[in-house]
Amino acid sequence: MTDLSAFLRKITALRGLSGDEGPVAQAVFEAFLPLCGEVTVNAMSSVIGRMGKAGPRVMITAHLDEIGLMATVMEEDGAIRFTRVGGVDPRILPGSRVWVYTEEGPMTGVIGAMPPHLLRAEERKKNYEMAALYVDMGLPASRVTALVHPGTPIALHGPLKTLENRRCAAKTIDDRGGVAVMLRVAELLQQRELPAQVFFVAASQEEVGGMGAETAAYALEPDFGIAIDVTHGEMPGCEPDDVYPLDKVVLTEGPNIHPILHKHLMDLAAKHRVDAVTSICPRVTWTDAASLQIARAGVPTALVEIPLKYMHTTVETVSMDVLDEAARLIAAFIVGLDAGWEGLTCF
Amino acid sequence: MLLKELTACRGVSGSEGEIRARLKALAEERGGVCTVDRMGNLIARKDGGDASAPHVLLAAHMDEVGLIVTGVRDDGLLRYKPVGGIDPRVMVSKPVLLGDGRVPGVIGAKAIHLQSEADRDRVLDHDQLYIDIGAKAKAEAEKLCPPGTYAVFDSPPESFGEGMVVSRALDDRIGCLTLLSALSHGYRGHMICAFTVQEEVGLRGAKVLGHYLEHDLVIVLETTAANDVGDVPFEKQVCGVKKGVVISHMDATSIAHPRLRSVMESIAASAGIPHQPKRYLSGGNDAGALQRAGEAKPAVVLSVPCRYIHSPASVAAEMDIQAQADLTNAFLDALPTAWAEICK
Amino acid sequence: MMKDTLFSLLTPFGPSGQEGPIAAAIAEMIRPHADELRTDAMGNLIAVRHGPGKRIMFCAHMDQIGYIVLDADKEGFLRVSNVGGVNPASAGFRHVVFQNGVTGVIACEPLADDKPGIEKLYIDVGADSREKALEIAPIGTMAVIAHQASQMGDHVAAPYMDDRAACAVLVELLKALGKPKHEIIAVFTVQEEVGVRGATTAAYSVQPDFGLAIDVTPAGGVPKCDPPLPAKVGKGPAVKVKDSGSISTPVVRDGLVAAAKRAGIAFQYEVLPYGGTDARAIMVSRGGVPSGTLSIPCRYVHSPVETVSVRDMEECVRLLKVWAEEIVE
Repeated sequence: MTDLSAFLRKITALRGLSGDEGPVAQAVFEAFLPLCGEVTVNAMSSVIGRMGKAGPRVMITAHLDEIGLMATVMEEDGAIRFTRVGGVDPRILPGSRVWVYTEEGPMTGVIGAMPPHLLRAEERKKNYEMAALYVDMGLPASRVTALVHPGTPIALHGPLKTLENRRCAAKTIDDRGGVAVMLRVAELLQQRELPAQVFFVAASQEEVGGMGAETAAYALEPDFGIAIDVTHGEMPGCEPDDVYPLDKVVLTEGPNIHPILHKHLMDLAAKHRVDAVTSICPRVTWTDAASLQIARAGVPTALVEIPLKYMHTTVETVSMDVLDEAARLIAAFIVGLDAGWEGLTCF
Repeated sequence: MLLKELTACRGVSGSEGEIRARLKALAEERGGVCTVDRMGNLIARKDGGDASAPHVLLAAHMDEVGLIVTGVRDDGLLRYKPVGGIDPRVMVSKPVLLGDGRVPGVIGAKAIHLQSEADRDRVLDHDQLYIDIGAKAKAEAEKLCPPGTYAVFDSPPESFGEGMVVSRALDDRIGCLTLLSALSHGYRGHMICAFTVQEEVGLRGAKVLGHYLEHDLVIVLETTAANDVGDVPFEKQVCGVKKGVVISHMDATSIAHPRLRSVMESIAASAGIPHQPKRYLSGGNDAGALQRAGEAKPAVVLSVPCRYIHSPASVAAEMDIQAQADLTNAFLDALPTAWAEICK
Repeated sequence: MMKDTLFSLLTPFGPSGQEGPIAAAIAEMIRPHADELRTDAMGNLIAVRHGPGKRIMFCAHMDQIGYIVLDADKEGFLRVSNVGGVNPASAGFRHVVFQNGVTGVIACEPLADDKPGIEKLYIDVGADSREKALEIAPIGTMAVIAHQASQMGDHVAAPYMDDRAACAVLVELLKALGKPKHEIIAVFTVQEEVGVRGATTAAYSVQPDFGLAIDVTPAGGVPKCDPPLPAKVGKGPAVKVKDSGSISTPVVRDGLVAAAKRAGIAFQYEVLPYGGTDARAIMVSRGGVPSGTLSIPCRYVHSPVETVSVRDMEECVRLLKVWAEEIVE
């Protein structure tokens, strides 16, 4: 079995902002190649790996894109103004180190802002506006304009750190942690006659609207969809209903999730001793489960979530044990599909 | 009366089982051949036999806005979130019914005697409000109404004033009623009545229909917010109660097919059915999804004006409800010959 | 000639949902240059140039933002709502025109401390009663900004460069295309301004291998531009990397850059921190379509004085011709 924290350390560092997922897609393609009968990278840069020859079509998806920044305008002094790709929290930016993906390869930059001692007292009490920030590459303006153009992707530094209790902190565990779960599921299903056709989809562009999963679901026409994403782990100052213990697998319930499928996964968790809890979402979930559910004529969909602290920062923290447990549950679902599977799709 | 029966059924978005079962039985009584799809949409088909007539899709959503329990406090109060858009200002001091067992609960807040000046000005948002079922402690409350339980306002239908009705869920049981009326009335060709799910949480049920239904045009039967009392300026009133069914030009999710809309208007005029346009553009409905899922289809929305929509006490006029049904049926009668005009 | 084509396309009526007149005008212009011409149920105008190879869907939207009449008050002033993204703060006090040629003015109530809003605007057609006003402009009719142009050397300013300038580029591209290597579908779409609706259904029925939207993009380089924008008028066609609707698929974006370099065309990259084009609709169609946008830089977008460079437009045609005939595989 792959060491998932080593795998996570590698793929969280790879280039792959939403819309620019080529490099990370290539790495995921290579990781799934020995495990799946067939792996492709489609025109939207989603990776699709297939196992199993017959039975219901199950699409399992985690997204491989990361949030970050994009250069817009180069100032006369070489400072690079930027916009966001996906929901980067501007509060984390001042003083961050970044990778600028220039024409000559990745180069380091630092995010700068007006120094506090030059601000008025009342300005110091407010967070910096993104328009006041810039990337400083430590280069003269003429070099900057040769290397960087509007649209150059800029990614945050966030290498993986190992903490106590098998917890890890890194950027982009949302949702490359989900991709790691999929890898483990594929490993658990090796050397078996499968009762289903399984499609692992490492989807692109979830952070900017979910187009990767939407188009993959259209092409694959699945009978079931399982999205793997992250939810908020317990942090101070939060409403109790909005956060979950870091060591539990979270299964969502609500209009976006097929109720029978949810119950079935909860029953499987109990049977296989996976420590799982329910989260309630009264609206469309902000994950690929949203587009999965309404693909073509509709897909019974479930959402499996990994609790994660400090989402959309560069120190996203999860428990590696929960990644294994989530994989165990999903593998049990697949292996347990039998001739009566259509009963799980009815109303 | 039938509208009262329909509003009595529960069907919050994502949990439409009860209203779906009732509508299925009523549709079958009217000759509808029923299926339920993977989202839970109820499709009732009726064929008049004339294969040359266009296939018509009539759609109304069977889901309603409501609440869902998200957690249980140690003191036995339930935390909830709204399902669909509900203004928090309509929540305080309202009774609700929870789950299939219809467990009674109330949404209270600090009594006025204890409120400060600041308290009185502040809007209490949903996360500052709780449902009280009278339980003393967490275990008891959790057993009766665990997280995931859906709740509806306890607000049964009642006729009042001159020809008015007040109830929860007029949006869109009124549209469902019109569909049943169309099934009774019949159509020369193939008619598909779609009772959709999850309109209130993003037009979700309708989005999948375009992929497998083979209709030529779609009429959406809805309700629309009327803001016509309380000294509201002319341009913000939207439409008026007792002025007839609304045939709108556009709303936030679709622009009506111009010839379909004008044919609809002529039929209303020549049949003497009261009708009106919309004076302020707002709101979205299933027409957006149904017009554009797959190949484009002509679409139009017929709405019944409804005051205090998405609150426990929405109000509509019986004559407007009747006008929606009458116009739909008159349109079905005229459709085979009017189709050429619509397609020009 | 690009300028003549542009001026012919600026004036025909066509707010979102009522594109009939502009569709007819374009159809006449392109009839000799298309193997097949058809219209779908929403009014999209679809022109086909047959060819082997891949299917490329170009689109430019025909619709304009405007106003729809909701009612009239008893003094004869028409109350309206917006069709598409009208900015109420700057919409007042312009000349407007209805489909039948009737002209009027759109005015705004005094705001005092109130925020601007569409319900504060009204159209004055010189009527003195509700009946007279509605006779002139019945409920449901639409109005657009009346045409007036300024020519400033290579720059031209007029209402509705968004997106009639792109329509002109697409018309000229159809004329310029030679022996087909690929199948070219040119779609003049409807209802882009209300949510890329025409492109959604057109892409579904056309089923292209590549999508290419042509649209204007707000240009920077004007005083106090906030947020700062990279594209500049007169600096060439702009290859879009990202807007809020889509991120151009790398193969299309890089292909446009390769075409520019091969043809020696000065081009720019552009990023918009808001907005969207028809490319988004094509990209998510069915199983996904590699798509991008070639932008015409334009100052003062959604104002009556949208300003573009005619040379930028001519260079767009050259770039797209090279892209379609030499770069796309």
